[in-house]
Amino acid sequence: MKSEKLYESNEHAWIVFGRDIDKPDLIIDTNQYMVTSRNNALLMDPGGIELFSSMLSAVIKELPAHKITHLFASHQDPDIISSLGLWDLALPNATLHSPWLWEGFIRHFGMQNIEYDGIPDEGGRLTLDDVSLEFIPAHYLHSSGNFNVYDPKAKILMTGDIGAAIEGADAPMFVDDFDEHIGKMKMFHQRWMPSNRAKNDWVRRVRELDVEMMCPQHGRIFKGDDVKRFLDWFENLEVGLTKGKR
Amino acid sequence: MSDVSSNYFVAAATIAAKLDYATKVAQRLSLTASNARALTLRAGQSAAGFRPLTDAIHRLSDITVSSSKKINAIAAVLSRLAVEKYRADSALNYFDTIYLQAKKSQHIGSLDDAYAQTQVKQQGLMVKYQKKIKQLTQELEAVEGELRSAVVLKVLCQIEASQAGLAYQDALNNVAENVESIAETIKEQIVFSRQQVAILQ
Repeated sequence: MKSEKLYESNEHAWIVFGRDIDKPDLIIDTNQYMVTSRNNALLMDPGGIELFSSMLSAVIKELPAHKITHLFASHQDPDIISSLGLWDLALPNATLHSPWLWEGFIRHFGMQNIEYDGIPDEGGRLTLDDVSLEFIPAHYLHSSGNFNVYDPKAKILMTGDIGAAIEGADAPMFVDDFDEHIGKMKMFHQRWMPSNRAKNDWVRRVRELDVEMMCPQHGRIFKGDDVKRFLDWFENLEVGLTKGKR
Repeated sequence: MSDVSSNYFVAAATIAAKLDYATKVAQRLSLTASNARALTLRAGQSAAGFRPLTDAIHRLSDITVSSSKKINAIAAVLSRLAVEKYRADSALNYFDTIYLQAKKSQHIGSLDDAYAQTQVKQQGLMVKYQKKIKQLTQELEAVEGELRSAVVLKVLCQIEASQAGLAYQDALNNVAENVESIAETIKEQIVFSRQQVAILQ
């Protein structure tokens, strides 16, 4: 599994993990993100059970396992958090931050040690040493209980399935041609996102944030002007469609 | 336990299902005993010798029902322990892979605590599992022993039926046949369960 540093300051860093060429062929490729601070780390959407070995191997190349004190699951899907039963044994003292709505469901993945911190619908904050992170509501995009993670200092927004594209494990890590990239995102957003109203609420909310980098859980990361291009494109896209029809 | 841990879930769940069925069949034995008692009351003096046997049928039914329930509960615990152990085994396998994949990582040693704790957990589960297997074996043997008395009970019922008045002989013989056939059905479940226990060990 590849890893790449997206941001680094004296206080903290963002790292993306993904493009795992060893993953089984039929599972969707995923991006995992980690924020590290002085003494703590937050692992976001740590992935499915099939990725656990590659993921933990990649993570401990960056920091000791006990430094991962927090996990975040944007929602309840298996590609997001089905590895929980194994993280539960690897990081028994960690806290999982995830929508309150999904606690009873996510616990089905196996959680005897890790503590569950349910994020209320309106969102919340997490402080890692000197770093303040915000949980931004993204309900119905696509899951009915769903959050993004925003870092105002690094100006990074981790968006889960929003901005996702279906591509192979050899795809570049960043969007290089937005218009060309639309073809890889369109069906995903039309089919998986159920609500135009929720989508437009989210676009309004995100326009108020200062975002330099938008990091989805599948596909490529948007940088600079491509973030605005995505928001414009998404705002005008009709979602909740099957094969392009209502 | 061998590596095919998923077989344990299936075997333990199968035992629980068989014993659940055995409990229901044993409840039919209780019904047979109640019917026999009603019959002996109607037959009066002509079936006086049969009456104490209905108590024995009731006793056999009670023992079988309570043992089946107990065994069912043990099988359910075994199934849960097998799942937990499977998780611990899987985690250790994943950790072993990570030790290989990330052997040059400067932080690889940070996994040692989690590995050691998971090993302790795995061993603890194994001890609990073996204890439950032993308990299950003892309970199955005990109920199988009780069921052996069903054959004797059937013969005694047949003897007493032959002493009863002609009007009741067929009905009482039917009770005797019922006792044997129900006991035989329960025994089949027990024998099958004992074979499954061999997989669990």
